[in-house]
Amino acid sequence: MEQADVRIDSAVPRERFNNKRIYLNLDLCCGCQSCAAACCYGHFIQSLLAHAAVSGDADLPLHCQQCDQPACAAACPNDAMKTMADGIVLRSQFKCVGCSSCTLACPFGVEHIYLTRHIVPKCDLCVDRLAEGELPRCVQSCTSGALTFEAIDDQAALGKKQLASARLISNAVGRRR
Amino acid sequence: MGRVSPYVSRMKQWTDPKIRKSLCLFCSLGCGVAFRCNGDQAKELDYDKENPVCNGALCPRGHYNIELLTHPGRLMEPMIGRRRVGWSEALAFFHQELKLFRPEEIGLVLSTNASCEDACLAARLAKLIGTDKLAAAGEPADLEAYRGYQYGVPGAQLAKLEEIDNSEALLIAGDLLVRSPVLSQRINKVKYGKRGNKIIVIDPNKTHTAWFATTHLRNKPGTEALVLAALAGADLDPALIAERTGLSPAALAAAARDFNAAATGTIIVAPGANKQRNDLLVYFAKLLSIGLPNKKFISFYSGGNTLGVNTVLDREAEGHASYAELLGKIDSGEIKAMIMLGEDLAPAHPELGNKIRHLKFVARSAHFPQADAYETTVQLPLASQLDGGGSYQLADGSKEEPVPVTPKAGAKTNAEIMALIMNTELDVGKLKTEMAASLAGGIKTVNADPGEIMDGCRAIVAGADRPDEQITHFGNNDLVKRFFWFRLKAGELS
Repeated sequence: MEQADVRIDSAVPRERFNNKRIYLNLDLCCGCQSCAAACCYGHFIQSLLAHAAVSGDADLPLHCQQCDQPACAAACPNDAMKTMADGIVLRSQFKCVGCSSCTLACPFGVEHIYLTRHIVPKCDLCVDRLAEGELPRCVQSCTSGALTFEAIDDQAALGKKQLASARLISNAVGRRR
Repeated sequence: MGRVSPYVSRMKQWTDPKIRKSLCLFCSLGCGVAFRCNGDQAKELDYDKENPVCNGALCPRGHYNIELLTHPGRLMEPMIGRRRVGWSEALAFFHQELKLFRPEEIGLVLSTNASCEDACLAARLAKLIGTDKLAAAGEPADLEAYRGYQYGVPGAQLAKLEEIDNSEALLIAGDLLVRSPVLSQRINKVKYGKRGNKIIVIDPNKTHTAWFATTHLRNKPGTEALVLAALAGADLDPALIAERTGLSPAALAAAARDFNAAATGTIIVAPGANKQRNDLLVYFAKLLSIGLPNKKFISFYSGGNTLGVNTVLDREAEGHASYAELLGKIDSGEIKAMIMLGEDLAPAHPELGNKIRHLKFVARSAHFPQADAYETTVQLPLASQLDGGGSYQLADGSKEEPVPVTPKAGAKTNAEIMALIMNTELDVGKLKTEMAASLAGGIKTVNADPGEIMDGCRAIVAGADRPDEQITHFGNNDLVKRFFWFRLKAGELS
């Protein structure tokens, strides 16, 4: 078989998935951890997702934010983290030595060391599925619809709209008082 | 050789990539599940986005379906003790051993995950053997809830899944989302669909389901049925209800008012094993649904085909034993040999697994071999719905016939195994007709004795304060505990 048929592209262009990221709607999440199970089954029984139990009342998935200037990549002594042309931050599993520098550097605390294999797993946005035009596994399997895969600009616009609505309401309430 | 890039569709590397769809039966919701296959070999799990039950979602348990097809430890050839043998030797040993027992000494259990055809043939096998010690085995809480479902309440209607979506109020008894997390999308749809919609949850614990509650009735453990009885307006002393449930009459009245005010509503029961009377829970759910306008009820079970297996057995094998009676007969020594048809009945149900160790002969059909099987145990490889197909009745009463994803390599369905045992030709068409006739008869109702029900309510005594239980989505199903993901979570693989 020719390799050209096997390999789709060395780098998915940024427009391919429109610079999308995974977002979590806290109001909808039921803490079932199906995202972690899906991640585990999709990545050869190694979940790349961390879950945080928030004061015992909530169990929330922590996704990699795929930062523009990733602190994990800057902290990595072995150059295992790389930002690809499409903005996805990927980890080479052969270069990672499990020093956990990235877990300390990550400002969101989503990197976690995997003790069994002495490496740090890292969310790759299920690029094998993105290459097929599918959603990442965690988003697709989410039972409550809490996880979405949206463009950063759309999410920012939504945030602005919500903020504007909140300001409108708070202004109205404030004036009445 | 080209660079190994992560941006590669794995399917593109296969010679004959296909996506095949089937049904998950790890609970009675019946979500769709898809598999990426290379020819006839299942390789990866996928999601069935067109399925109206789950819309592409899948709970953690649902992910184990792939291991039913790909697990390296799957039982694929019969075993006598720990020795792998051929089918003819296993069946010869089975017949030779069974001749040593009188018919009434032989028990027969069928898993609630088995298909309706299996139930039909199990009834026929029990008749052929000449034993009435046949029972459907599943979670005791489920079987108890099914008994409540059998109580005749004229006018009570089973809700369909789309009717849950269209409800303006949901009354949920128990931790529903531990059993069927995929229902959270429907709960969210109701909660955020329209302003004023209500989600009322009856549960002693602050469970995952209770996160979504607009009203959380935190009753004392074990008194859920009493709360539903109070909401249904049962003739009970309000002071007694308040004392036993720990809920004030005002809180109960407010919840009843909210639920009544909704134009449409659904009462959802998730049977639990913690002291509660699940039969009364379902009975009062039915009673409440007929007392209010446009209200329906539904109960979700952990056995995928609990409704189907029990309905067919009740019709085809009248007067068959209950699971509890069967366990009692093993204890009393009446049963000396056991035929267990279903996925891992022994390890999944410790109460049965511990008792069968004292039996002289056990034959079991299962997906995985039992490591500590005795020399007199015959293990027959069982095909699941993913490679064997079959007909199943889900919680909302709908019937599904999943198409097998892969051919069953060495395994056989329960119906095929029973046909081999009976030494008859399996006429699938005729069997399906008989099974459809049984199911068409509907559930066999039992007349509830109001006095007995009321006595049951008065007898409900709140248990002592307990710590909140560890909430898990893995349930008590030992089948799933063999899988990589569970073992990884439990720290066994570290």
